[in-house]
Amino acid sequence: MARRTGLNEPASGGRGIPGSLGAPGPSAYHRLNPLTKAVLATATAVAAVVIGGLLGPAVVVAVAVLLPAALAGVLGRLVRTSLLFALPLAASAFLVNLFFFPNAETVLFRIGPITASAEGLSFALEILARILAIGGAITLFYLTTPPASFVVDLERRGISPRLAFVANASVQTVPAMVERAAQITAAQRARGLDTEGSPWRRVRGVLPIVGPVILGSIAEVEERTMALEARGFTRPGRRTLLWAPPDRGAERVVRWLLLVAVVAIIAARLTGTWT
Amino acid sequence: MLIRWLAAIAAFLAGALVGILIAGGSLTDYDAALGAFPLITAISVVAGIAAYAAVEYAQTGGFASIASQFGTRTIVLMPIAIAINIILGQTVAAALKVPVYLDSIGTILVGALAGPIPGALTGLLANLLWTYVLPPPFHSDFAAPFAITAVLIGLLAGGAGRFGLLRPRPDRRAGELIAAGVVALVVVGGLALWTYTQFYEQTFTFFNPEPEGDPGALLVLVGWVIAALLVAAVVGFFALLFLRRDASVAYVTIAGAVTGVLAAIVSAPIAANLFGGVTGAGTDFLVAFFRQQGADVLGASFQQGLISDPIDKIVTFFVVYLILSALPRRTKARFPQGERLLDEQVEPGGGDDDAEWRGAPA
Repeated sequence: MARRTGLNEPASGGRGIPGSLGAPGPSAYHRLNPLTKAVLATATAVAAVVIGGLLGPAVVVAVAVLLPAALAGVLGRLVRTSLLFALPLAASAFLVNLFFFPNAETVLFRIGPITASAEGLSFALEILARILAIGGAITLFYLTTPPASFVVDLERRGISPRLAFVANASVQTVPAMVERAAQITAAQRARGLDTEGSPWRRVRGVLPIVGPVILGSIAEVEERTMALEARGFTRPGRRTLLWAPPDRGAERVVRWLLLVAVVAIIAARLTGTWT
Repeated sequence: MLIRWLAAIAAFLAGALVGILIAGGSLTDYDAALGAFPLITAISVVAGIAAYAAVEYAQTGGFASIASQFGTRTIVLMPIAIAINIILGQTVAAALKVPVYLDSIGTILVGALAGPIPGALTGLLANLLWTYVLPPPFHSDFAAPFAITAVLIGLLAGGAGRFGLLRPRPDRRAGELIAAGVVALVVVGGLALWTYTQFYEQTFTFFNPEPEGDPGALLVLVGWVIAALLVAAVVGFFALLFLRRDASVAYVTIAGAVTGVLAAIVSAPIAANLFGGVTGAGTDFLVAFFRQQGADVLGASFQQGLISDPIDKIVTFFVVYLILSALPRRTKARFPQGERLLDEQVEPGGGDDDAEWRGAPA
C-alpha cells in the first residue's frame, strides 16, 4: 500500500472531508492504520480466550492493551470506559460462576441455599480476566479510531461501496433515531401520554413512542432511495475516495504476523502441544 | 428455483453433518459436538449460500436472484434496521431485567422485506458494527462473537418471508383457523418435546421432586409456574387466532419458535465458552437457576437459551408482523420480497400476485 504515496499524507482540512477524518491523531498509536488496530484488538481478544487461565490474559492485556494505551495517552479513559462497559457482564459472570459452579466440592462460604465454592472462584476469576481482556482490547480500538476512518480504509481495500454506505449510515442513523424518539416522546407527552407512572403505564407508553419511530423511519426509505438513485448510487465501478487513512509496509507485516500468531496459538491449543 | 433451494439446504445439512462427525459426535449422539455448533453453523451457512449461488450460476450464468435482493431500497433500509437492532437491544438489555433481548427486530424486518441474504448481512453487520464501529453510548464490546447467530436469524426470517409465512390472512373461516392453530401447536409442541428430551431431562424433572428439601420444593413451584404460563400461552394463542381471525398468527408463531430454538443452539456455546454462560442481560438468573439444579456450564447455557430465545423470537416475529401490517401496501410492495407480504384477498388476482407485479409495464 505504501507505493500509493498520496495516501500517506492525510489531506487534513481538504474540501469535502469531515474534520474528524482528515485530522492526524494526537499520538503515533492513533495514526496507525485502522485495520492494524482492528486486527490487534481482535487478535488480543482471541488470544486471551484461547490461552485461558489468569496469567496468560494478564500478560496479553499488559502488552497489547495497556502499553499501547499508555503510549497513546488514553490509559485513564481506557480503564474507565472498558470497566464501565464490562461491568454488567463482568459482575453477572463473576457472581453466577462463584455461587453456582456445578459439582463444586470445596465450600468457601454459604449464603442461605447458595454456596460459594473454590472451584467457582477460580473459574469466575478466569472468566473475569477474559471479559476484561476482550473489553479492553475493543475499547482501545474505538478510543483511538474515528468510526468513519475504519470504514473508509476498508472501502479503499475493496469492500463494496454499498456496504461502506450501510456502515457509515448506521453510525449516523443511531443518534438520529434516538433524537427522533426523544421528539416523539415530547410530542406524545404534550398530548397527555403518561411516561412516568407505574411500570404497567410505562410499558403501555412504549408503543405510542416506538411505533411512530420505526414506521416513520421506514417511511423515509422511499425519499432516501430516490435521493441516492438521483445521485448515481447505483452506478457501477469504483468510487474515488478523497481521503483514506495512510498505511505502511511495516504495518502490513505486523498484521500478518498477528494473524499467524493467533493461528499458531489456536493450533497449539487444539493439538495439545501446549496448554 | 426449487433446485437452488434444495441444493442450498443439502449443502447446509452436509456441512453440518461433516462438522458434527469431525467434532467427535454422530447423528444420534452429538453431545461431543455441542460446543462446536457455532463454528459448524458458520461453515454450513457459507456452504449453503455457495451452493445456491453455484447452482444459479450454472442455470442462468449470473446471480440475478441474489443481486435483485440488493436494490437501493434494501441498502437504505439496512442502516435503519441496524439502528433499530442496536438501540432496542441496548435499551432492553440495560433497562428491563426480563429474559428477552429484542435485538433482532431489524434483522427479521430486512429478511422479510428483502430476502434471506440481505437479512443475514444485516444481522452480521449489526453485530460487527455494534462492536467495531459504533461509538458509545450505543456500543457493546461483546456483540461481535454472536454475529453468526444474527446471520442465522436473518436467513431464517428471509425464508419465512419468502414462503409467505408473514403474509396477512385475515377473516378466515373457523375450520382454516383451527387447522392452522393445530399445525402450529404440533410444530411448537414437537420442538418443545425435542428440546426437553435433549437438554433438560437429565438434570431437570418438573413435577417429580427429588426429596432434597429446598431445591426440590423450588423446582415444583417453578414447574407449576411454567405449566401455568404454558396454559396461558396456548389460551392466548387461540384467543389471538380467533379474535383477529388471522391464520398468519399461527404461522408467525411457528417461524418464531423454529428461529428461536436454532438461535439458542447456536448462541449457547458462544456464551458458555466466552463468558461462562452469562450475557449480562436479564437472562442470567435463569443460568444461575439451572446451575443450581446441577447442570454444567454448557448445559445451563442451553437450558437458558432454549427458554429465552424462542420467547424472544416469537415476540420479535410478532412485532415485525405488526410493523409490516402497519406499513402501506405500496411501501411493502416495492421491496424485493414485498409482494409475498401482501394480503392476497384484497387483490383480485388471488394468489398469483407475483405475475401481476412482474408483468406490470414499467
